[in-house]
Amino acid sequence: MNEFREVTPGGKPFKKAYVALMLWFVGRAIQAAAKVDGDVKKEFEKLPEGFTFCLGVMPHGPYMIVGKDRKERVKYMGWRREGRSIDLDMKIKNIEAAILMFTFQEGTAVATARDRMVVDGEVPYACAIVRVLDIGEVYLLPKIIARLAVKRYPVWSFGRKYIGRVRIYFRSIVGY
Amino acid sequence: MFFPDNYEFFCPTKINSGKRALEQIPFELDALNARKPLIITDKETAKKGLVKKITGAFRDSGIAVGIFDGVPPVPDLELIRGLANNYRDAGCDSTIAVGGGAVVDAAKALNIVVSGRPEDLKAFAGEDLIENSLRPLVFVPTPLGTGFETSRFATLEELTFSSPFLMPDLVVIDPRMMTAERPAELISTAMIALAHCAEAYTCPAKNPMTDTYAYAGMRFIGENLANVIRSDDKDGRLALANAAAMAGIAFSNTPRGIIHEVGWALGDASGLPPGICMGILLPYGLGYRMNSEGYHLSDMLLPLAGAEIYVGTEENLRARKAISVIREMQHDVRDAAGGDIPLTLKDAGIAKDALAGVAGTAAGDGAAGFSVDDCLVILEHAWEGKSITSS
Amino acid sequence: MYLPEYYEFCCRVKVISGHNALEKIPESLAKMHAARPLIITDKGVSEAGLVDIVLDAIRDEVAVGATADDVPQDSSLKVVNRLADVYRDNDCDSIIAVGGGSVMDTAKGVNIVVSENAHDLMKFSGAGALKRALKPLVVIPTTSGTGSEATLVAVVKDHERHLKMAFVSYFLLPDVAILDSRMTLTLPPFITAATAMDAMAHAVEAYTGLAKNPLSDASALAAISLISSNLMGVMENPSDREGRLALANAATLAGAAFSNSMVGVVHTLGHATGSVCGVPHGMCMAILLPYGLEYNMHKNAHFTEELLVPLAGAEVYAATPKHLRAEQVVAHIRKMNQDLHDATAGRHARFLGEVKDGGGRQVVPREKLEDIAEAALDDGSIFYNPEECDYEDFLMILRTAWEGTPLDRGLIKGV
Ligand SMILES: [Fe+2]
Repeated sequence: MNEFREVTPGGKPFKKAYVALMLWFVGRAIQAAAKVDGDVKKEFEKLPEGFTFCLGVMPHGPYMIVGKDRKERVKYMGWRREGRSIDLDMKIKNIEAAILMFTFQEGTAVATARDRMVVDGEVPYACAIVRVLDIGEVYLLPKIIARLAVKRYPVWSFGRKYIGRVRIYFRSIVGY
Repeated sequence: MFFPDNYEFFCPTKINSGKRALEQIPFELDALNARKPLIITDKETAKKGLVKKITGAFRDSGIAVGIFDGVPPVPDLELIRGLANNYRDAGCDSTIAVGGGAVVDAAKALNIVVSGRPEDLKAFAGEDLIENSLRPLVFVPTPLGTGFETSRFATLEELTFSSPFLMPDLVVIDPRMMTAERPAELISTAMIALAHCAEAYTCPAKNPMTDTYAYAGMRFIGENLANVIRSDDKDGRLALANAAAMAGIAFSNTPRGIIHEVGWALGDASGLPPGICMGILLPYGLGYRMNSEGYHLSDMLLPLAGAEIYVGTEENLRARKAISVIREMQHDVRDAAGGDIPLTLKDAGIAKDALAGVAGTAAGDGAAGFSVDDCLVILEHAWEGKSITSS
Repeated sequence: MYLPEYYEFCCRVKVISGHNALEKIPESLAKMHAARPLIITDKGVSEAGLVDIVLDAIRDEVAVGATADDVPQDSSLKVVNRLADVYRDNDCDSIIAVGGGSVMDTAKGVNIVVSENAHDLMKFSGAGALKRALKPLVVIPTTSGTGSEATLVAVVKDHERHLKMAFVSYFLLPDVAILDSRMTLTLPPFITAATAMDAMAHAVEAYTGLAKNPLSDASALAAISLISSNLMGVMENPSDREGRLALANAATLAGAAFSNSMVGVVHTLGHATGSVCGVPHGMCMAILLPYGLEYNMHKNAHFTEELLVPLAGAEVYAATPKHLRAEQVVAHIRKMNQDLHDATAGRHARFLGEVKDGGGRQVVPREKLEDIAEAALDDGSIFYNPEECDYEDFLMILRTAWEGTPLDRGLIKGV
């Protein structure tokens, strides 16, 4: 029967590249925020030594990994998850769902409510990391977008909001 | 709220509905332990580019798919045999049915075959003869259907299958599949769903679980049908597709109702779409049951019309009001569609002397719980357009 | 009806409900090709004579492999492994769980071990770890509250490694849930009240939360309607079979709703209050539900107000002006709590400061509220709550819920 055929669908290289770039930025921004922002610092202090967290896309990435190194410093640890033991694994179910999140059409809370993610790991870790991601979004995004991404746009001091933002952007780009 | 002394309810079907729903299919298949689906559909659906949308959803998933896009309007055993060979040769382990009606019947029959032995298909025809769950079946609806898609029923040639294992494991309702369709066909599909929901929600065998599906289905139709016909509202079409999926589930867990049976018999006899027949019959079939022991018509007003109208109507008037809400909706929809939707059997061109035959077919051997006379009263009123409750 | 931009709904459990539903168990097992069940339950359930009722109903047709009635209050890995041995030693081929949340969690854990032949249960924790159907599992809830019979989650504690293992999979959904009025007929009024309010909280939070969807909504509306029209009747007449069965159905409907749409701040604080002070879950729910609704009202009053129909009936809904309906919902739930308080001679507490243990001592001292707020930061149910909630917010809600005064909504950040 000629109506039957087999197809191997291709990839989505451009969307994956975009998400990979965003993940890289988010990873570096968390590293920066852990130095600059008191709340983020406190969240990481409560997490255990060597804690490693991965955010990525199913089934084959991209990923980003952030963890505490031996000196208890929060570090962006790259995009390779092989050979790492991951304490908190947040996987977006597919690249289109990741695009919805990283084009800020769906904030973390909405994406979670819509079952877009699979989270493996202890719930208290997930709670802490979601709070960190929310703070990160407020730093990195203009208010008009961040307001859609977080449930409640926080009231921050001028210094935290503007000077903090500049410092995190700067550190994310230069990487320390 | 009515509550039965005893009931059983089962729905294995998961619903994923909305934005980017198609892209969730690879993840869902993996959760069902499936790696290679066979996508089956008909030529028309393929021509609209809808199969491409499904295969597109598999990009980046690393999953290869088989595609068969030639299901004819009336599938036969021969087709199923061929499909089964394709399925096995390509190493498939699951089926994705795209579209409605015949495609889903074929997919269900195929699923029986590939989950057992092909020569056995006939042995499974009948009530509850399938003993084990089948391979994963995903159903991706388009706006048109027969109302059987999410149900426990399938038909192939002269065979009828009935088993909860025939219900799809997953229904994926995606706005990208909601193509614009002719109003008459949309209305027909919606009226089947409304008839199935209304009969499930008002019948003596209703229970809180069937109520759940029927309630949501009726609410969606009540809120959206006229808008969809009038302005082709995209969200509305998504809501109607949800309603159709829910209706099939409610319908599977309650006895077949008189509107359904008479509607099908009438469609068969006249060549009219069964949905148009059920639409015409709805107010009369419901009206006929208004004062019958064990029926629950007044409850229906809440999902049909919403809270404000429900609370604003005195309790003893709610059943009557529910029927008039359906009538109003039907007039509204007909006008929006340009007036060519018949609301009586006479207008539909049915000969009055054909009614007795239809009533006979619909009542069958009486096992369904209604008689030839019951059917005939409804048909005669629906022919003339004479309100049944005033008689 | 609210149609979210995207939703998922699944409730694959077969529900069999009735005054003689237990008698349907043999047929259900046979359909699943099972004939030799292991019955898992706890001491309380078996001492109440409920296991005997189950056995009487099935004995003629089913050869029970073994009955294990020593599931502790808190599910534990050790018990799971031991019961798995009992299952194997007795050549069982299916499981019947009779009890509440911890019995069902244990049964689900045992089912993983015996189906996967697992030596390390931990390997199967986390999403997607289970890939195929497990052994047939029939559950018979003996309280009308937790809704575990309709959930796909199991929590098993590993007390040695101090771990709480969470298992999430559609394969963990029981195959059959049996709702039989005989199973809850002897539930004491005070527990009936608390568990019913737990189910109420599931339905209300699912309906008003971020993950609401049409089928959860319809289930929630039905659950709320069944609870409000049957709870007080059962309190007055505990042997009301129809009322008992209606409450059992409400709990399952609410379970289906929250299994798909999750819960919010009421459960966040309830879990924390339970773990810090040991207050029974249902009691926390009853007390905190009005506060959760008040706290979120600026975000979801348009959903909350819709609950007035199933909660108070058409007449009250019609007589309440639209802008007051959400508040009327809260008032109605407070009134329910007051009625339950009166019907239990004060055992059903209306506010946290009022919760007493068997010896009449206060269970939640005011100075514990900070600890509770701290613990709440670790609870994931807050993800699905419409409004953000930080430590200060938690504490503010807890303090008012301790006093029993309505929430001053002017104090909520972002209002
Ligand atoms: Fe609860």
